[in-house]
Amino acid sequence: MRYGTTIIDDIGNEHPRRNLRLAEMGVLEERLESEPKEKVAQIKSELKSLARGEHEYEKSLADMRAEEKAFLAKAPERKTAFEKTLTDSDAKIRKWSLEAMESAARVEFYEQHVELSYDYELLARTHRMMAEQLPEIASKRRQILDELNEVTDELERAKKEDQSQVMADFRQYREERLKKRNDEKAYLKKLYKEGQISSKAFANEKREKDLAASEDIRSRKQLLPIEMLTDRVRYLKHRLRQDEKQALTVLHSDIADLRRKTPIEISKRFPWVSYLTIPIPGLGQLILGQSVKSIFFFIGTLYAYLIAIPYALGRGNYRGQGLFGLISLAKDASRLDRSVIFMIEGVIAIILLMIAFLIFYQSYRDVHKNEQRMIKGIRINNWFETRTTASRSGFPYFASAPAALVTLFIVLLPIAVTVLISFTNYDPSHQSKFSWIGLANYKQIFLGQGIAGGPFWLITGWTVIWTLLATSLAIFIGFVLALLVNQDRIYGKRFFRTIYLLPWAVPAFITIMFFSIMFSPDGPLTNLLHQLTGQIINIKDSPWGTRIVLILLQGWLGSSYVFLLCTGILQSIPGDLYEAAKIDGATGFQQTRHITIPILLFQTAPLMIGQYTFNFNNFSIIYLFNGGGPFEPSKYGNLAGSSDLLISYIYKLTIEKQFQGIGAAITMIVSLVLIFFTWIGFSRSKSFREEKL
Amino acid sequence: MRKKKEKGLYLSDRPPLTPLKAVLLTISYILLFIYVFVILWPLAQIVFSSFNGSQDQYIRIGGTYEFSLKHFKYLFEETYFLNWVVNTIVIAVATALLTLLFVSFTGYAYSRYRFKGRKASLMAIMLIQTIPSFVGIVAYYTMHSIIAAVIPGFSRQMFLVLIYAGGGIASNTFILKGYIDSISTELDDAARIDGCGNLQVYRLIIMPIVRPMLAIIALWSFIGPFLDYMLPSILLSDPKQYTLATGLYTLITDVRNMHQPVFAAGGLLTALPIIILFIALQNQLVSGLASGAVKG
Repeated sequence: MRYGTTIIDDIGNEHPRRNLRLAEMGVLEERLESEPKEKVAQIKSELKSLARGEHEYEKSLADMRAEEKAFLAKAPERKTAFEKTLTDSDAKIRKWSLEAMESAARVEFYEQHVELSYDYELLARTHRMMAEQLPEIASKRRQILDELNEVTDELERAKKEDQSQVMADFRQYREERLKKRNDEKAYLKKLYKEGQISSKAFANEKREKDLAASEDIRSRKQLLPIEMLTDRVRYLKHRLRQDEKQALTVLHSDIADLRRKTPIEISKRFPWVSYLTIPIPGLGQLILGQSVKSIFFFIGTLYAYLIAIPYALGRGNYRGQGLFGLISLAKDASRLDRSVIFMIEGVIAIILLMIAFLIFYQSYRDVHKNEQRMIKGIRINNWFETRTTASRSGFPYFASAPAALVTLFIVLLPIAVTVLISFTNYDPSHQSKFSWIGLANYKQIFLGQGIAGGPFWLITGWTVIWTLLATSLAIFIGFVLALLVNQDRIYGKRFFRTIYLLPWAVPAFITIMFFSIMFSPDGPLTNLLHQLTGQIINIKDSPWGTRIVLILLQGWLGSSYVFLLCTGILQSIPGDLYEAAKIDGATGFQQTRHITIPILLFQTAPLMIGQYTFNFNNFSIIYLFNGGGPFEPSKYGNLAGSSDLLISYIYKLTIEKQFQGIGAAITMIVSLVLIFFTWIGFSRSKSFREEKL
Repeated sequence: MRKKKEKGLYLSDRPPLTPLKAVLLTISYILLFIYVFVILWPLAQIVFSSFNGSQDQYIRIGGTYEFSLKHFKYLFEETYFLNWVVNTIVIAVATALLTLLFVSFTGYAYSRYRFKGRKASLMAIMLIQTIPSFVGIVAYYTMHSIIAAVIPGFSRQMFLVLIYAGGGIASNTFILKGYIDSISTELDDAARIDGCGNLQVYRLIIMPIVRPMLAIIALWSFIGPFLDYMLPSILLSDPKQYTLATGLYTLITDVRNMHQPVFAAGGLLTALPIIILFIALQNQLVSGLASGAVKG
């Protein structure tokens, strides 16, 4: 990059260079391109000597620096001199006044040297601003303080004085007002008794009268001297805090504005700091002068070097070896070590490293961007500006950080582990130590081989049948019930609605367990069936018996929800649709067919898809009703029963029978299918189509 | 004004009932009452058997009926029922509070702020919420032992709360974001001009408006632990730590411990408050479900 003869500030205005050495270099660089070849060597040597800093300007700058140092060294002397002139005792006012006087002195000093450098111009203007605004802030504070003292004194005096007369007046007013309210209320009651106003209007009016009375009494109370003065004291104390905060913010933003308008000149042309400080986030910010910000990045550095990297290398692990655990899976570790732990800790290490990497990258980008801005001539943010922007644009990151962390470790980590386990031979004979086996689990499942993979297709078939039948039955029942109940000639709608809500309101596990009891051998419903048919039918021992009962039971359980949803939608269908249909001569049946059912279907469709996925995963009903049974070892082997769904099969494989590898592989397949279907359902939903993200 | 009925005058705005319609209406009533019976009969059996003192281990129908509270007595004295109730309530309340805390922040941030990575993370949230919650069951048990080693005193129940709350973040964020989106931003702009900070805008402006939705989210997060059987059965091993679902199940699976009427009594006590809650808040609950329809 070339120096050029001008620099740009943050607003985009061009400024001439004041650093004469750099300006001269800029001119020479421009000449280098246009001048004939013979002069090139001479220009280059000139540039070289300039780059070494040999210029008159550097000398005057060095002189100025020495002068400035001497001037600043005298600051304590000036301070003691100023202090003698101060009369105010308030600490803050003293501080501000001192600062203002010192600033005034500095303005005088720096203004002589404005032409030398933009830094001095900025200093001069900043101090002028402080010298102007600080005394104002101080005098405002003094004003409020004086008023506060006065009011406090008054309050003290008022408290000592006899208030009985005023209080008596107030009490009398209150009694009168309450009496007036009671009279009004009595009148209202009379109106209500006579039937002139409804009970609702009566209740509303009563509330209104109560409110009006208490409002009047409160405002009257505030006229009492003590109340008034206490209020005033509170108000002034609030002003004292608030005004100061506001005035200082104004001052700081004015200064920030100056910083934006005043450019900076540096001789650096290449953003080397950002590259060199990549390994230590925070250092770059410190070098560029953003010290407070650097503290936050240094915390990130500490995290990376003391937590993330050592953890990934195996230090501070619970049992595992950090990242290496993912490869070795505890193969050569002691007998007690378990592969799962090594795997989980490996995944944790990856997550920690990813966070660390993010910190490194953010820090590098921050430094790099700021350095490039400085080279252009823009002053980078001071702490006040950083804080202001961070509190606005950084808020969403801070706000969602806890949720993101929890999601990362509680949701994504287990998912990642499940994905990894599906590629291992984690089974009963490899509980403690397992190893990578590639896609073998998936192959077993798809080909239906082995003890665990064998029944997969049978179970999948039943799962699909179950999902379709059970959900459709529930939807059908709920639908019909909603249509029946919402006919306008049906009385007792509330009663039916409350009863039909019950299967949804009673926790499903209770009803399922209870039905399970009733269908057990010798259970009430089994006996009932026995009496009705004359045969002993043991539902729980017959595969299709269990399946049919399960479907009926889910119809019973699921219809409530569908019923409620449909009822809600039916009530929201505008009545004029039906009226128009009636005028056109439609019969009641035609109205239902052509108006009600299309609207219902259309509006409930996405929710009904949700019902299908819910039943696909309906673990409770299968597991709690008959434990997935009855068992048919000839078809299903020893691991699954004939009413098991994929989800309960996964549960049995991973939790009960210790075939975690295959269980994880089935989980992966099921999840992918589910994600696909919910995604379809979602992409058709309203919010997605309207792109209201 | 009071309504006055005049006899002999047909005042309804519906057409008069034809014989065919009267038959259809009767059929409708019959169907509706049959289904009322279908619903009430099993539920009534739960109530009857919980109060029937003549049954011991198994529930039978048609036997003698004798009113008694002995099953309830057994429930409170011989089982850990009270422990289960307390556990479930603690877990449910903690889940609801934690969910609210997380989701308030994320829902607000995603609705009101435009920041880098917003769209990408929203897509990620949508993907995450489609992943069923049982995916992690292999890892949960081992994960708990790792966390417990780092943080002593981190109980299984706390982990359960974290799983429930963490699993709900994605879908609930989406619901709340949608709800906040429907509120005009002019209100927050006005508040900002008056000097409100980010959190003040949320606390003073947004929160009062979205309170109904927050209540629904809290309610569903609260009910979730009551209904779930799978996760507690995986994570909790000590009967004293069980939740109601896992605890009551022990009363009907274990042959040594089999007490079906006691289960009915426990089920009744568990169901009653929830039924009341559902009946009282049915409209809100349904609308909450409708807006969370994406969750599989």
